[in-house]
Amino acid sequence: MPALECRGLKKELPSGAHTLAILAGIDLAIEAGEFVAILGPSGSGKTTLLGLLAGLDRPSAGEVWLEGRRIDALSEDALARLRRGRVGFVFQSFQLLGNLTALENVLLPLELVGVAGARARSVELLGEVGLGDRLDHYPAQLSGGEQQRVALARAFASEPSVLFADEPTGNLDAETGARVLLLLDALRARRQVTLVLVTHDPEVAARADRRVHLRAGKIERIEFGRETARA
Amino acid sequence: MRFALLFRAAQRESRGARGRLAFFTACLALGSFAVVGVSGLARSVRAAIAAQSKELLGGDVWIRAREPLADELVAALDAEPDSERCEVRLVQTMARATASGQSRLVELKAVGAGFPYHGALVLEPPGTLDARLDDGAVAVASELAAGLGLCVGDELALGVARFRVAALVLDEPGRLDPTFTSGPRVFSTLAGFHSMQLEGVGSRITYGALLALPPSAGPAAEWADTLSERVPMGEARIDSHEEAQPQVQRAARQVERYLGLVALLSLILGGVGVAEIVRAWIGTRVASIGVLRVLGFTPREVLWMYAGHVLALATVGSALGSLLGSFLPLCVPRFLPELLPRGLTLGWQPLSILRGIGLGTLVAVAFSLPALAAVWRVPPVRVLRHEAEPLPAKRALTLAALGALIGSVFVAAWVQSEELGLAAGFTGLVAALLGVLALGARGLTRLARWLPRERLPASLAHGIAALARPGAGVLGAVVALGLGTLVVVTLLLVETRLSARLTSALPPGGASLFFLDLQPDQRAEFERVLAAEGAQDVRIVPLASGRLTRINGLSAEAQALVHGEGRGRWALTREQRLTWQQELGPDNHLVAGELWSDPQHLELSLEQDYAEDIGALLGSPLTLEFSGLPIEFVVTSLRQVEWESFGINFFIVAEPGALDAAPHSLLAAANVAPEREQRVQDALVAACPNVTVIRVRSILEKVSYVLSRSALAVELLGAFTVAVGLVLLAGVASLGALRRVREVALWKVLGVTRGGVARLFALEFALLGGVAGLLGALGASALAWAFFEHVLEFDSDVPWWTAPLAGLVAATLAALCGLAACAHALHTRPIESLRS
Repeated sequence: MPALECRGLKKELPSGAHTLAILAGIDLAIEAGEFVAILGPSGSGKTTLLGLLAGLDRPSAGEVWLEGRRIDALSEDALARLRRGRVGFVFQSFQLLGNLTALENVLLPLELVGVAGARARSVELLGEVGLGDRLDHYPAQLSGGEQQRVALARAFASEPSVLFADEPTGNLDAETGARVLLLLDALRARRQVTLVLVTHDPEVAARADRRVHLRAGKIERIEFGRETARA
Repeated sequence: MRFALLFRAAQRESRGARGRLAFFTACLALGSFAVVGVSGLARSVRAAIAAQSKELLGGDVWIRAREPLADELVAALDAEPDSERCEVRLVQTMARATASGQSRLVELKAVGAGFPYHGALVLEPPGTLDARLDDGAVAVASELAAGLGLCVGDELALGVARFRVAALVLDEPGRLDPTFTSGPRVFSTLAGFHSMQLEGVGSRITYGALLALPPSAGPAAEWADTLSERVPMGEARIDSHEEAQPQVQRAARQVERYLGLVALLSLILGGVGVAEIVRAWIGTRVASIGVLRVLGFTPREVLWMYAGHVLALATVGSALGSLLGSFLPLCVPRFLPELLPRGLTLGWQPLSILRGIGLGTLVAVAFSLPALAAVWRVPPVRVLRHEAEPLPAKRALTLAALGALIGSVFVAAWVQSEELGLAAGFTGLVAALLGVLALGARGLTRLARWLPRERLPASLAHGIAALARPGAGVLGAVVALGLGTLVVVTLLLVETRLSARLTSALPPGGASLFFLDLQPDQRAEFERVLAAEGAQDVRIVPLASGRLTRINGLSAEAQALVHGEGRGRWALTREQRLTWQQELGPDNHLVAGELWSDPQHLELSLEQDYAEDIGALLGSPLTLEFSGLPIEFVVTSLRQVEWESFGINFFIVAEPGALDAAPHSLLAAANVAPEREQRVQDALVAACPNVTVIRVRSILEKVSYVLSRSALAVELLGAFTVAVGLVLLAGVASLGALRRVREVALWKVLGVTRGGVARLFALEFALLGGVAGLLGALGASALAWAFFEHVLEFDSDVPWWTAPLAGLVAATLAALCGLAACAHALHTRPIESLRS
């Protein structure tokens, strides 16, 4: 059974008197533990696809299955509960809560699930991403790279089975981006987490087990195997 | 979600909420201060009266009647074991300083030995009444002594007798301020009272008995009930000390009810302010809400989290105002001592704080709900796409929020007024006013959007454009400031117009002096004195008292079963005063029948509303009893009376000569120039000492003074509503601070000076305030006009300049408040905001 699967996935948005097809029927199955990169030029529908696969948005047509459960028709409450503990996210603009410290940002998903020893685990995770000495700093007091590392710790805190990443290095300089990417890959590999990553950067995509190229809302081609030489 | 996590999340959300808390507090504290202040004051007065009731009454039980107490009742009181009784007579009469000849209307209280049983009069020289008074001496209130230039030992004439002033009364427990009484107090003995010879026909004497009960008698109220069940009381009424100070208790209840609703208005406006703040705040938290949703928070959990935060802020805000308001009862006696009976000590009312916090949080949360409901619609996908469509609105949630809003206003009004009808009316009125102002605000936004701005000066164009901008807070500011202006301007208009009406010259031909208790044999002397003093339009009519016993063949008791409400009950159970005359005055207009047209019967002419109240029609047979002798009449005409003409008018007028043989007194009226009133009064009191002179001007002045003092309290509370409106405006301006900072930076980069930017902003706020003030004042003019036309039935024009002036004042205040709130933005260097 695939960890994540979509069948005939479509997304249309109203545009004046017409509708605009963002995704025009996507079929994709992603196995557990697999690292899949979604590539494509701007407007190709890659972020929309990520949102639909993660249950953040509703498709116009088609089905989405997460670990054997169909999620596209679930209620907002059911989707929220599903995300707790099973799905993690990393975003281009970090999306940390500004009025929470680094530690509290990591702690929040654990508190939501009600995990015992949440604080110790958050401290350990922040140590793992190299921010053991920045626990009580607020996001505004951290650099971009540090903020993204807090976001990584938060994403892995509740030990999700699937992780969605939207341009995780997009707001970082090349060097910091590469370090964050290395960290993400290492954490993923250590925890055997399925990773779906959206990027327009071939360097980032080269680390993936599979690269799905989108163009105009359709899968243009799929490439398999890590391109170690490019990485 | 566990409560602990919800609490933690709300607590974390509170970080950096200092500004928000400040505005929550400012919005709610004023309203809860007013609510708690009014409620605490009323409770405090009631509690103080309950605690000091015996001292205020001077005894345990007070029995009184307009005629000597019935023999059976006196016998029953005589038979009461161990109780003490003190006879009392009360009457309004004239006192004259024999040395100066000056006179004044006083409230005379003649008392037997032992008065008062509880509490003590403060006399100068010190002592008790028993010690100071004898049958040739009186004790007079210090204000009478000051008014007539009397000292202890001087002589004072009352009725036909002369007395030595034996003491000055410095303090009388339970006595109201002279403003609220007919005149200063004079104490005499009972024998002294008899020597005054005031007990003529038609005299208005209250015959009373004050009792002190032994401890074995039990609660005074129960003792009084048992007595009134056991013994026929006749006309007498009996009150126990628990019912002491009925006027003050009634006033306290009215204050609590009506001023409580005015105070609630401030709190409701605070609610509007809170709603605006929450709306602006939620607007800045949309990104965070999106992240929370992505992390697995359900919409309901996010709503609870933010509602919890609002609840916490509202509790703190209203608690602060409530705490301050609870001290109001301690301040009122210091600043407005005349509002309370003498000797009443008010206490702190901590329990009222709970009312303030309860109503404050209820209103704040209910008003925030529609704004909070927006968190439900934030889609998690917003973290990926800012322009993501919001989730569909939950109809049930929208309806529940609206229901909670209306319900909370109703519940709060019910708590304040303790009357369902009044609460419903208040809710309806508030909804209607808010609705009209909201429509006005919407109209203003549309107008601002539609208005061509190309040819306007830049600052004016910017000000108008700012009103059309989404999220400009026009709705909240116009509604709150407009409603505040409406309340204050309505109160001011009603009070000033009413006061002007009361203190302006009397209506042409109206009497300025009335003379009571004139006996028929004094008529010639009376006419001589008035003629000598140059009084005009002297009118003298006979006055008899009779009791209605049969109407339309039915006994008055039976008739009272049908017409037993209000004036009907009074007319059918109490003695009625009537006159007889050939012609009616010009202020009487026949509306049915013909005057003195039936030679077969004795005829009556009735005032038409009075006739309706007692169930009499044209042609109705009617029996009146005079000193036990029944006389039958027929109603042959109905009249409409212009009561506001200040003439002598009666509900019942009999045909001339019908009652010449009945015991009667005379009632007279005359028109005297203001500067001659005192002279006429002094001369008349010297010639006819039993006659009581009532000066209409001084009564109207007193009424006007009381009205202005009461209006002051309402206006102060009304001013709270304007203050809340201004706070709200400042709050909206300040919450848009980030936008303001960027705007200021851009303006400065474009070369506009700081003063120039301040002018731009001032104009924007002034436009907002001006329109709110204008709308509010227009509403106020309409309300005041309707009140005068339909409630008081006065012709009263509302000055044309009311609305423009109110608009100007509101515009100025709004500009000042808005600028104060934007001060930080004006001082920020452009580079700081552009870099960020």
